[in-house]
Amino acid sequence: MSAGTQVHANLTEEQVREISGDLGEPDWLTETRLEALAALEELEMPDVIRTPGRDWTNLHELDFESLVDPLNAAENKDQVGPDEADVLSWTEAVDEHEELLKEHFGSIVDPQENYLTALSTALFSTGTVIYVPEGVDAEDVAIRTEQNSRSLFNYTLVVTEESSSVTILERQSTGEDSEARSASSSASGDEPRAADEQYYSGIVEVAAGENSYVQYGSLQNLSEEAYNFTVKRGVTDTYATIDWIEGNLGTQLTKTEVSTELRGDSSETQIVGAFYGHNDQHFDLDAKVWHRAEHTTADLVTRGVTDDIARSVYEGVQDVGSDAWDTSSYQRENTLMLSDESEADASPKLIINNHDTEASHSATVGQIDKEDLFYMTSRGVDPRAARNMLVEGFFVPVLEEVDVDELRDDLTELIGARLRQRD
Amino acid sequence: MSSDQDHLQETDTEARFEFKKEENSAVRSGKGLTEEVIRMISDDKDEPDWMLERRLRALEQYHNMPMPSDWPGMPDLSELDVEEIIPYIRPDVDKREGVDDWTELPDEIQDTFDKLGIPEAEKNALSGVGAQYESEVVYQNMQEQWEEKGVIFCNMDEAVREHPELVKEHFMTTCVPPSDNKFAALHGAVWSGGSFVYVPEDVTVEMPVQAYFRMNSEGMGQFEHTLIIAEEGSEVHYIEGCSAPKYGTHNLHSGGVEVFVGEDAHVQYSTVQNWSKNTFNLNTKRAICEENGTMEWVSGSMGSKVTMLYPCTILKGRGSTDTHITIALAGEGQDIDTGAKVYHNAPETSSTIESKSISKDGGRTNYRGLVHIADGAENASTAVECDALMFDNESTSDTMPYMEIEESKVDVAHEATVGKIGDEDIFYLQSRGLDDDDAKKMIVAGFIEPITEELPIEYAVELNRLIELEMEGSLG
Repeated sequence: MSAGTQVHANLTEEQVREISGDLGEPDWLTETRLEALAALEELEMPDVIRTPGRDWTNLHELDFESLVDPLNAAENKDQVGPDEADVLSWTEAVDEHEELLKEHFGSIVDPQENYLTALSTALFSTGTVIYVPEGVDAEDVAIRTEQNSRSLFNYTLVVTEESSSVTILERQSTGEDSEARSASSSASGDEPRAADEQYYSGIVEVAAGENSYVQYGSLQNLSEEAYNFTVKRGVTDTYATIDWIEGNLGTQLTKTEVSTELRGDSSETQIVGAFYGHNDQHFDLDAKVWHRAEHTTADLVTRGVTDDIARSVYEGVQDVGSDAWDTSSYQRENTLMLSDESEADASPKLIINNHDTEASHSATVGQIDKEDLFYMTSRGVDPRAARNMLVEGFFVPVLEEVDVDELRDDLTELIGARLRQRD
Repeated sequence: MSSDQDHLQETDTEARFEFKKEENSAVRSGKGLTEEVIRMISDDKDEPDWMLERRLRALEQYHNMPMPSDWPGMPDLSELDVEEIIPYIRPDVDKREGVDDWTELPDEIQDTFDKLGIPEAEKNALSGVGAQYESEVVYQNMQEQWEEKGVIFCNMDEAVREHPELVKEHFMTTCVPPSDNKFAALHGAVWSGGSFVYVPEDVTVEMPVQAYFRMNSEGMGQFEHTLIIAEEGSEVHYIEGCSAPKYGTHNLHSGGVEVFVGEDAHVQYSTVQNWSKNTFNLNTKRAICEENGTMEWVSGSMGSKVTMLYPCTILKGRGSTDTHITIALAGEGQDIDTGAKVYHNAPETSSTIESKSISKDGGRTNYRGLVHIADGAENASTAVECDALMFDNESTSDTMPYMEIEESKVDVAHEATVGKIGDEDIFYLQSRGLDDDDAKKMIVAGFIEPITEELPIEYAVELNRLIELEMEGSLG
């Protein structure tokens, strides 16, 4: 089932060397990229759930050959943050923080974990490195990426030193009249299917130092012609906390993992997710936590809506290792189906190897409660407004967990807009 | 609870399962799976050609299918060598198809079932009893009052000859085709024995019917097939019990169960599985429910080295209902991977899955379940609840549910919890004068009570005793 006979045949070492050279990378980085490229041959697509007669997501159908255009990446990017912390573009980071990169790059998400991580490692042309020194509280770090090319490979590294904190808000969108749309149709006129399609790939690594706090909010609102593959993974030191917020609204197909390895004693993580799929969107969302130390706590909360013929696939994993004494681990997932033709699959998993554990998970799928709707309309609210209010209300428990006001407001607004667009 | 008396009972129970008998067989197949072996089995049973053809086709499917390997967290089957298993052993009894009087059986077989307490239970609580020893049913009896109402309870081999139309239509066709999975194909090729139950329209069989399966020989495989047909408005409760003594080499049990629940019919299928801890227990059990029919699965899995069992219900008719109650207890060296599968294919269908698992001494339990709600199954509802209890840090408890929802007018809920035995609970019980051992036993008994409540009292007692026996020695 080796995945990509199709793409890597097109990719050459020269292309990879060119990308690496343009970014001024040291040899070891170029080598890491070339190794990832060479590994494509052997690597498999990321795991997706398969049950008898049903593949929850089919990544093999993606036409990578026409989606991946390694040398023509184009984007609009903002990388801003307070002066106390370093918020650097990839080339700046290569110049200023080579030792840091050497220590952390690829240490949390193995470049050769699967076909798509290797592809991303070999080809990424843009990135952000956020370094927060000891004791610094850095608020309002913002990364905005607007994709203007057929494919874009992005890399982000966050390192926090002892007792520091950082709040990061990341957004991805597609440029309005992006080159991707016009250029690709002429470049590959014989590939009509992919003419308007884009591929976005992102890897995010977070190394949270002792007693530090990272809040990483992400709002993915790419065009509905885009495919998206993202892995965001963090590792905690003692007493550290990583809180993820993950909003997914765009793309025709998203395969994403948000995960934390709780490696330090008494460390914590929270993964909050919100998604709203409509038209023929397909979201495959994984939330995972590995408890690998004592007294760790995890809380996974995801809520989403599926409308039209959209499909959501959710896999949650709480994995408690045998040394993870005194673990607390909780997971909830709720899906609201607004249309008859939408589909929702869910698989919340518990893997428990230490009995000193308190763990629970729950998942529900349903539609808008008829009694709630009846109550609202009996109070004179018109049915459409009532429905919209109930959907907005459905997201409240998740939105309440979002500490970044800006992200919460944006999410609320995008959800509201999508609901109004429905009428 | 007087612990003296308990101890007596437990020793007694242990002795009842762990004894071995000299093998004394009339016909015994070679090892492994070849066309020759299949023809020999079919020939020894004097089967009609159509059944032989089905066996041979299943054999071919078996050889063409790969061993399952890509399941996440799948139990280790590497020690299972199907080619080393003896698929067919016919014990040496005079009358084929089983006698209806225990005393007509050879002494060692009679003795076996006496020790298991089957004849005793038959007198007190059952409508009918079947007993299988190795590959053949050796005893089969049903109370006359049910026979008069047209209820059929016979062994599967006899059913092939006596009720060919019913068997031809239902045997591994629409419910569990051999192509379903590799072990279903294996089963289709080498099946032997098992029960056939037919309940005519509007007949309620008030007392349960029971089948008891015993493997005695080393390295054998038991592949009994159970086919239950409950016509419109009928009701029946079928209980199966299984046990085997422990040997150094592995036994394989790969049973097939097919249940047809007619309109408004009600079938309960209860299993107390206590295979020896060298047994691979890989079964396929499935029910199809017509309109307003009800299927109830009750399973207690204590035995075996590896169990992979996911009883499945297909809710085909509007308003049909499924209930799964599952309890698994895994001790040292055991991997009990069990759960449930439910397909909601019609409107107003509902399912409830309750799973309780206990792992201790390095054992692993896994709940693996699938609930599928098809497009158009409006107002379907399902509730899944999994609770796991862990005794120590060498053990593993996993939960892997899968939910596939294609319909929006549904109510789907899944919940799971994992916990340890609460120190406070134990402290409370100890402060009331129980010792640590008894306190833990009592907590476990309380934990599984929802299961034992569903069983007739004799079996609830049996199950409790088995669990207490399993708990013995691991505590304190």
